[in-house]
Amino acid sequence: MKNKKVKGRIESLNIPPLSLGEGIKGRGLGDLTEIKYWKGLEELNNSPGFVKKVNDEFAEQMPIDKFLGEDNLTLDNGTNRRDFLKFLGFSLTAASLAACETPVNKVIPYVITPEEITPGNANWYASTYFDGKDYAPILVKTREGRPIKISGNSLSKITNGAVNCRVQASVLSLYDSSRLTGPIAGGKAETWQNADKKIISKLSAVCAKGGSIRILSSSIISPSTKAVIDDFVLKYPSAKLVTYDAVSFSGITNANAQTFGQGIIPTYHFENAQIIVSIAADFLGGWIENFSMAYAKNRKVSKEKAVMSKHYQFESNLSLTGANADERIPVKVSEQGKAAVNLFNAVAKIAGVSPLPSSELQCDAVISKIAGELMANKGKSIVICGSNDTNIQLIINEINTLIGSYGKTIDLENPSYLNKSNDKAFADLTSEMASGKVDAIITYNTNPVYSAPASLKFAEAYNKVGLRISLADRADETASSAHYICPDHHYLESWNDFNPRKAHYSLAQPAITPLFTGLNSGTRQAQESLLIWAGNTSDYHSYIQKIWAERVFPMQGKYMNFTEFWNNSLRDGAIEVGKGDAEEVKKDSLKFKIQSSKLKEGNLIPAQETLNRKPETNLREAAKKINAVMGGEFELALYEKTAIGNGNQANNPWLQELPDPISKITWDNYVTMSPVEMKKKGFNLMESQDIEASVVKVTVNGLTIELPVIPQPGQAKGTVGIALGYGRDKAGKLSIQTGSVIGKNAFPFVQFTEGTFIYSALDVKIESAAKTAKIAGTQIHHTLMGRDIVKETSLENYKKNPKSGNKDEILVTQSVSKKASSIDLWDEHEKPGHRWGITIDLNSCIGCAACVVSCTAENNVAVVGKDQVMKTREMHWLRIDRYYSSDMNEKTADEEGIGRGNMYREMETPSAVNPKVVFQPMMCQHCNHAPCETVCPVLATNHSSEGLNTMAYNRCIGTRYCANNCPYKVRRFNWFNYNGNSDFAFNPTQDDLGRMVLNPDVTIRSRGVMEKCSMCVQRIQAGKLDAKKAERKLVDGDVNIACAEVCPTNAIIFGDLNDADSAISKLRKQEAEERNYFILEELGIKPTVSYLAKVRNCEGTIEEAKSNLPG
Amino acid sequence: MNTIFNSAQRRFLSIIYLLFLSSLLNLNSASAQDAEKTFKLYCGVCHSTGANKLVGPGLEGVSKRVPSDAWMTKWIKNSQEVIQSGDVYGKKILKENNGVGMPPFVFLKDEDIASLVTFTKTLTKKEGTASKGTDTGSKKGVNPIALLLGIIAVLIIIIGVLRGIKHSLKNIQNEKQGIPKEEAVGPWKEVKMWIGLHKRITAVLILFFIGGLLSACWYALMGIGVYTGYQPSQPLSFSHKIHAGANAINCVYCHSGAEKSKTAGLPSVSICMNCHKGISKGPITGTVEIAKIYDAAGWDPNLGAYTKPQKPVQWVKVNVLADFVFFSHQLHVVIGKQACAACHGDLKTMDAVKQVQPLTMVWCINCHRTTEVPGIKDNPYYESLHKKLAEKYKGQPITVDKIGGIECGKCHY
Repeated sequence: MKNKKVKGRIESLNIPPLSLGEGIKGRGLGDLTEIKYWKGLEELNNSPGFVKKVNDEFAEQMPIDKFLGEDNLTLDNGTNRRDFLKFLGFSLTAASLAACETPVNKVIPYVITPEEITPGNANWYASTYFDGKDYAPILVKTREGRPIKISGNSLSKITNGAVNCRVQASVLSLYDSSRLTGPIAGGKAETWQNADKKIISKLSAVCAKGGSIRILSSSIISPSTKAVIDDFVLKYPSAKLVTYDAVSFSGITNANAQTFGQGIIPTYHFENAQIIVSIAADFLGGWIENFSMAYAKNRKVSKEKAVMSKHYQFESNLSLTGANADERIPVKVSEQGKAAVNLFNAVAKIAGVSPLPSSELQCDAVISKIAGELMANKGKSIVICGSNDTNIQLIINEINTLIGSYGKTIDLENPSYLNKSNDKAFADLTSEMASGKVDAIITYNTNPVYSAPASLKFAEAYNKVGLRISLADRADETASSAHYICPDHHYLESWNDFNPRKAHYSLAQPAITPLFTGLNSGTRQAQESLLIWAGNTSDYHSYIQKIWAERVFPMQGKYMNFTEFWNNSLRDGAIEVGKGDAEEVKKDSLKFKIQSSKLKEGNLIPAQETLNRKPETNLREAAKKINAVMGGEFELALYEKTAIGNGNQANNPWLQELPDPISKITWDNYVTMSPVEMKKKGFNLMESQDIEASVVKVTVNGLTIELPVIPQPGQAKGTVGIALGYGRDKAGKLSIQTGSVIGKNAFPFVQFTEGTFIYSALDVKIESAAKTAKIAGTQIHHTLMGRDIVKETSLENYKKNPKSGNKDEILVTQSVSKKASSIDLWDEHEKPGHRWGITIDLNSCIGCAACVVSCTAENNVAVVGKDQVMKTREMHWLRIDRYYSSDMNEKTADEEGIGRGNMYREMETPSAVNPKVVFQPMMCQHCNHAPCETVCPVLATNHSSEGLNTMAYNRCIGTRYCANNCPYKVRRFNWFNYNGNSDFAFNPTQDDLGRMVLNPDVTIRSRGVMEKCSMCVQRIQAGKLDAKKAERKLVDGDVNIACAEVCPTNAIIFGDLNDADSAISKLRKQEAEERNYFILEELGIKPTVSYLAKVRNCEGTIEEAKSNLPG
Repeated sequence: MNTIFNSAQRRFLSIIYLLFLSSLLNLNSASAQDAEKTFKLYCGVCHSTGANKLVGPGLEGVSKRVPSDAWMTKWIKNSQEVIQSGDVYGKKILKENNGVGMPPFVFLKDEDIASLVTFTKTLTKKEGTASKGTDTGSKKGVNPIALLLGIIAVLIIIIGVLRGIKHSLKNIQNEKQGIPKEEAVGPWKEVKMWIGLHKRITAVLILFFIGGLLSACWYALMGIGVYTGYQPSQPLSFSHKIHAGANAINCVYCHSGAEKSKTAGLPSVSICMNCHKGISKGPITGTVEIAKIYDAAGWDPNLGAYTKPQKPVQWVKVNVLADFVFFSHQLHVVIGKQACAACHGDLKTMDAVKQVQPLTMVWCINCHRTTEVPGIKDNPYYESLHKKLAEKYKGQPITVDKIGGIECGKCHY
């Protein structure tokens, strides 16, 4: 928005140019009438589309046809006024007639009530989620036998109760009606009896003729499942297990095998690290484990503890981890390995170790600075790398040895067992299959036809196998071309055990009777299938007990008898036993040559002495190979999105609608590209939501896919990023319901080099496809535009003045200048009992969106689909705003003599090269003087005596005045009946099975009703009731809200502000004059939700840091 | 029972109904009730009022079967004596009931027996034997609206006839006095003339009429969704009167959720079986209804084992709150210390359950405004809140609304 005619005037106005537009023009404010305001770029350019639209009162045709529903009624293509009146009259009569009749409600009690069930009360079960990648001991909330919510089990010493969004959304995958309801043979339904008979005879035949059988599985961490496979192999001696993960970490395993003689993935302890250097490892997103909690531990600051870890991130795509880094250095994919080598050299220089051959990088200065810090924090730092290239991981191992990480921040003695993929073995298997050497293959929990790299040609090889059996729960890409599909239970219907790390065990128990059961149909636990085929008829539950009695029970010393041990383990869900699996340690101890005792001292010991490493020539070789890597015009970095991961839950509408934490885009994958380069190439920069994205052809090694391209600030120049996990055409009904396959599959682009999968490509061709595509993003404004909505400071300034980033809002009145919070137009609401409040620590929030899914599950939030998201009609009660920094600020504008109008205009554009990123969870702020309450004509929204802004849906008539008057834009309107309208068939509420996930304590909202965050009032009411019944005071922790409950970094703190002993009261008291602030406090609306200002561990002030960015 | 009338209307109609009918109906209610009571106490254990046999034969139409009232009186007093006296009919009955005789009731007073005999005369064949006892007025056949319309029609006819008579009389009189014959004026014309003469009164009447119509509409609309008096017939005619009343079984024995959950819950059939494994015959319906329990539970009374498939009973919900209202039984019963009867009425006197309260929001709120919070003084949960409120309200009772009990968000979320 800029004024050509009277430039000087508008500059002096100093008004943030929000859309005053027509308003000022019409009012005739003297000279101001001359000013022309543009509503957007379209108006400025006077584009034909704009000219056409400008005369229409409504942006688009009113969708009368649509809401009249039936297509055949409007065949004549044009509903006229008479028809409309007829429909109206008929509906009115029908509605009033329907209202007169007493509806007959049936109540059907149990015939025999299960002992543990009281209808109306929830039961909680400890179980474990593991899908081959994400591991999380969980608590499952069930109502009347239906699992409805998943939260973390804090008894686990591995996750400490952290669960990510995928784990939480898995409860909806249980009720996925795309799951198979019984075994399939040759595309037709079969009975278990017949299927078993045929499979056994065929397997026996293969075995008899000496043919080979392969079990292809994702990582198995279940001791009992391994035993089952051993039993199977005993019966069919030619069988062999091959482990393959869609996203593999075998580069680390290989490197550790070379460096330490032990092919393991160590345990990383970010909580012990003061300096964290990550080279393209998205360890807050999907790298190895969920490290959020450990990471956040060292990121929390207070006046007493004004220290925090320093996090450097080298990467190409802007990842969730990169967004949280104190310093992020954009590097090309081909430079990642070189950065590792240069970092080694810089560290080696200080340590006095001979350097490796290196090549020059733009960021060398930063690297040597980092090296200095690493060496100054020996034993308190960690260097990790997300590459699956063994050579790079070898260098990383060396760096960690030099900086004394082993035994301190990296634990080799207690390795993680979560990722066991052996890429080489998988490639070998594929070539064996292609040459017809494999006679039977059983796939379990893996989908290689979808996820294998194109170069391996897995699908072709797979079809050459004589007997193909799949244990998948649906006819996915792999299973659909199998001879037999023997559907597995969902994990919430299964028994299982897990051994995620040495000495740590957990159990999974069924939280529901299998949904699909039948005498001879239904699903069956995969392990039981294998057992039956192996001739063992014992059920898996007793099988696990047997294994535990033999192997796990002897390891612990707490319980005397097994039953006691088993019951307690089952109740707790996750346990730690003594020294762990003696068996595995014994087996590997000969190979395990690291002398950990010496390492534990933390002193730097020359590597050769401690570790029986391969000669240094190996390293030189690796460095040489790394230096030889050269990229083309564009390099591609493949990544996993927070919501979709590797795509195994692609049929889950909650996850598809969850906005990506960085791009804020839903229901799609896309090519991310630097805006600078997009401009050069002439692609649409998507300045607003209705501008469609340009579609590009991405070609790697002759393989082309077409995807929309979106501008991604911070994307390293010369690189593009594409998310994996999309383009699943056989994931289930979601693609049919939404009309098309969601996104495109980028797995074929994965390279197989030197025995590992490389999730990048170095020579990528990007061409315009001369098309555009719609993209549904939930955030249109990407910067803060100089507003103080997110307050931040640097650690340095924070140490000097804890209030440094948190300037008070001052209002200038006629007589005095006053703190905005001290001026009050209204009388205070009385809150004699509780006063609930939320405080969000922006320093801890990493933007992982676990809270959003938790809120969706708890509050029955509707899924609205891509089209509605495009119209900004998403229903999430809690959103996470992501803001990029802009290159422009007031200081720069003053220095460069840029006028205010231009300054604000430029502020709208995020810094393209390397923006700073902030995340801000935003939900109803439960204002004490809420603007929404005063405008509601029917008093549907009002204030409770406990400080909640409550919403009575049954009272709401849908004027939407409240949403218009809400400064935080957190109110959500039900534009359609998402629970009944067939256009929204993907909504779980529209499916008999999906409906079972609904929380019966929260009303399902209907069309025409406003909704918003209720601060989980149903949980508050339940907590109060329990305390009243127990005749005791309500104490902190009795009630927790859904978002705070799952936050892996404890960024959200909920409690009673009237209770002086509550954590939130103490925190607010302590931070009152430091970091605590209220958003838009100057409006005088007195929000209940407060935020703690963000502290960045960067040098100088935030402004300086922003303007002195590298790259 | 799906009627569109709300309680107010029904009350209004029943008043009119009673006014018109009180002279026609002559119920000797006091003695009839006594007899019924006596019957239930002494006879009902073995005899049903229907045709079905319990221990003894069903007494429907018994007065027509037996030889005479005198025989009946003797039989009730001491049936053994009647049989021993060689009575043919008595012997026949004994044979029909496999030689199981009726115990003597010599202790009953003569007038009691007489009223019992009278009572048995009322046990004629009825249509639909499922529901018994406390039937509401509207169920007794005559539609009150039809009755009202009939009466109005009769009145109009009478007025018309009277007008005719008046007119003829006047003409006769006029004839006598030599005044020319008055032309017969049509009733409609007369009304018009009357209106022309009394414009103000007409205006007021019209206003009243419109006002009445509007208020009738208003009440009709307010009554939508309010089902006070709703008493659906249930698949299994369970009687609270017998279980909670006569046998004094505690409500929470069956509705155990009331003290520990949001919903009071209906008992599973297994709870019924706790007692009904042994009790296979009831006083009203004999084995018929209890057999339904066995059917649902899969119990074979002959084998004494659960051998058949289970079929849950599909009860019809009587007290229905809207889906958007969150009502917690445990909150009201345990903390609120409310008796079940406060909302559900005196179930001890009901055979079939009936909705006695309107379950409207105003009903909830009125109670919240007048009920003192139980335990606010001694439950530690309320300690600090009570201190503040006691100061504020200075001795006034602290009712539920004062602790936020009428805020929207307490029940709607």
